[in-house]
Amino acid sequence: MSADPTIASPDRPVAPIRSGRRAVAATILVVVVGWSISGLGVSLDRLLGAPGDAWDIFRRMVPPAFAEAAERGVVGKVLESVHIAWIGTLIGATLSLPLAFLAAENVAPAAVRIPIRQLFNVIRAVPELILAVILIPITGLGPWAGALAIGIHSVGTLGKWATETIEGVDTGPLEAVAATGGRWVSGMRWGVVPQILPVVTSQWLFRFEINVRASAVLGMIGAGGVGSELVSQLVFRNFPAVGAVLLMTIAVVLSIDTVSAAVRRRIIRGAATSSGVDSDEDRNAAVLADLTGLGH
Amino acid sequence: MSSERQLKPSGSPSLSADRGTEADDHDTTDARAVIRFDDVSVTYRGGVQALRNVDLRVDDGEFVVVVGLSGAGKSTLLRALNGLVPATSGSITIDGTEVVGAGAAELRVIRSQIGMIFQTFNLVHRTSVLNNVLMGRLSAVPAWRSTLGLWPSAEREAALQALERVGIVEKAYVRASNLSGGQQQRVGIARALAQEPAVMLADEPVAALDPVTSRQVMGDLLRINREMGITTLVNLHFLDLAREFGRRLVGLRDGEVVFDGDISDVTDDTFQEIYGRAITDDDLLTVDAEPAG
Amino acid sequence: MNVPPVGATTSRPSRPRRGLRLWAVAGALTAYTLFAGRKVGFDVSSFWSVWSNPLWGKFWPIPWDWVLDRHNVLDPLVETLQIAVISTLIGCTLALPLAFAMSPLTSPNRVTLVVSRSVMNVVRAVPDLFWAKLLVTAVGVGAFAGSWALSVFSLGVMVKLFSETIDGADPRPLEAARAAGGRHAPVVRTGVLPTVLPEYVAYGLYVFELNIRASVVLGLVGAGGIGRVVESQRQYFRFDRVLGVLVLVFVVVFVIEQVSVAIRRRLV
Repeated sequence: MSADPTIASPDRPVAPIRSGRRAVAATILVVVVGWSISGLGVSLDRLLGAPGDAWDIFRRMVPPAFAEAAERGVVGKVLESVHIAWIGTLIGATLSLPLAFLAAENVAPAAVRIPIRQLFNVIRAVPELILAVILIPITGLGPWAGALAIGIHSVGTLGKWATETIEGVDTGPLEAVAATGGRWVSGMRWGVVPQILPVVTSQWLFRFEINVRASAVLGMIGAGGVGSELVSQLVFRNFPAVGAVLLMTIAVVLSIDTVSAAVRRRIIRGAATSSGVDSDEDRNAAVLADLTGLGH
Repeated sequence: MSSERQLKPSGSPSLSADRGTEADDHDTTDARAVIRFDDVSVTYRGGVQALRNVDLRVDDGEFVVVVGLSGAGKSTLLRALNGLVPATSGSITIDGTEVVGAGAAELRVIRSQIGMIFQTFNLVHRTSVLNNVLMGRLSAVPAWRSTLGLWPSAEREAALQALERVGIVEKAYVRASNLSGGQQQRVGIARALAQEPAVMLADEPVAALDPVTSRQVMGDLLRINREMGITTLVNLHFLDLAREFGRRLVGLRDGEVVFDGDISDVTDDTFQEIYGRAITDDDLLTVDAEPAG
Repeated sequence: MNVPPVGATTSRPSRPRRGLRLWAVAGALTAYTLFAGRKVGFDVSSFWSVWSNPLWGKFWPIPWDWVLDRHNVLDPLVETLQIAVISTLIGCTLALPLAFAMSPLTSPNRVTLVVSRSVMNVVRAVPDLFWAKLLVTAVGVGAFAGSWALSVFSLGVMVKLFSETIDGADPRPLEAARAAGGRHAPVVRTGVLPTVLPEYVAYGLYVFELNIRASVVLGLVGAGGIGRVVESQRQYFRFDRVLGVLVLVFVVVFVIEQVSVAIRRRLV
């Protein structure tokens, strides 16, 4: 009896040759990485020195100059970033949902569906910053440019997520509506919307969390919000002030993240229990709690 | 219960539910055939032929049980009837109205006359039982009203009555997902009843239910058929249930009708012929039940 | 039969009132929206003026000879790709142990769990470009700073996505490995890693895509890559060149995305 697994013996199956493909993939990876490293001309000492340089800057941020920042109205600027993100997300949500219906495989015909999906892809490919760069000459500097940039970009992401959600619905209720003689609209209203509402709302909230960061960044090119503060203080190398701006931004972002995550969890959990089935997730969560002793 | 309906677009005769309230066993000389399948074949995209040259006549007020293995074509038979699955060839008529090739608007009218009950209930989980039943009234109100949830009180009344008929009106405002399986199926039945249909189709209505509840639901369907005279077709997986509740049995095998007759003519051999194999315990709802004589 | 006959006397329930809390929340959100809208300068009419602004003319026609020139655009684009590769590599490599440390399923002990989660929360709370700007100030302008900034960004994204995967992984193989008496790292390696590895690679490809897009904007803050070109052209008001560059970038991203999706589909 041969010990070589690639030769079949009467009762043993042949070991599949899978390792070949993996070796190819690994080689490609190594080549690409090597090319990248050489291309960037990174020398070893520079590589190792970088974290040290960065650390130096962070050291100089302590203690952060909060009083000075408060005087300059940094808090208001941070809040402005939140407002921008909120309005932008709303714009994105409002525009993306109807479009998502038109882009869903189980709902819309191909002639409509494909262009809209491509539209989503195109929009998603353009980062908010670039959008803002394009919009600023036209709308002028200020928060509105930021809100528009965020809104338009969000249409792409939210649209894609919503489309996937719509495509994943249980078609049972849709069939039931059709069987009673209901129209397409009724099918959407009763068969699709109730199922997607919790997930889509949670997607909007998640996008809002991301957009708060995006709007902070947009400030850096003058589209409103706290980014401009960061840039100006860095230019003056006023590191304690930079530290203050950073910490305030972090604080606001974290709070919004926490609240939003809690709300999202609540929404999803409400939806899960209403499906009437003991979900795999719940069961896994229970096992997890037992296993790790870290029950919630 | 109201009875006259006009089918709008064509000049075809109205789908009248001229029902006697007496549960007379087929006085077939006078009864019209409500449902007719004439040489119907259905081939799905991908080449699978689900129905082959099916001929079937169902009279007004009959209670028909359809049995067959999975994939024999039971589901396709029902769904071809209300156009959810388009027939590839042949003719399907309900009271003279042709289903095959009907336009979208016509199909909606036809479907509003046919109530359907599903194996997986197909309720909207996140809303109340009443809203689910109201979906049966979708074809009776303009789309904007139903979309906004502004149902006229007459429709609410009809829905509540349907719930009373299946005996769970006290759950009217309960979220649908909070009900048990048997209760959810009753809501499904109420939704179908709310349509005030001429025909009732049940696609394996009890496959997801326990034996006791299954008998209850089958009993409901039979009672509705007798009291209201609604022509009923039920797909069943469990043969003892078929024998217990069926009046007329249709057996499908590989898309063809291999048996069509009165339930009293059915023996164990009949089932074996329909299935093409010996009957196993999986085909029976309750294994210790004595097969009916 | 237990079904009550028609006309049974089960009384009809009364119609419940709509949740008051829902209305309150909706009201608060609407109020905030109006407030924020005013603060932001929301202007529906500006939608129209944006559309009809004559400045759009400056974006056209695209000077393709300039755009397709090696020195102007293609070299920086290559640099962008290289930055993306390195950042993805660094970020995702660091993310693997970190994600395991962050998940209650695979964390060695409670302290590691809490510390890693807190650190990641803070790191992710800082917008990515803030990192880039800070690093540019620290280590100087150029692709180097860009790589580090994107590494941090990749780390953040990867950790977030991947730890969610770990959380959702089937805990039973892990249980089996523990029951067989393994130490922590081997237990994780055999009990969880094989399950989540395909998703890890898929996410890695996704992060790579993100990095290419992100490095475009990195250049706007001086961190190298194609964004440098965009920013300089923007400052010269050569919007036509800007558009040309963006179109080219979009094409490249699109191609890479298609390849990546194809690979990912074969993985998961």
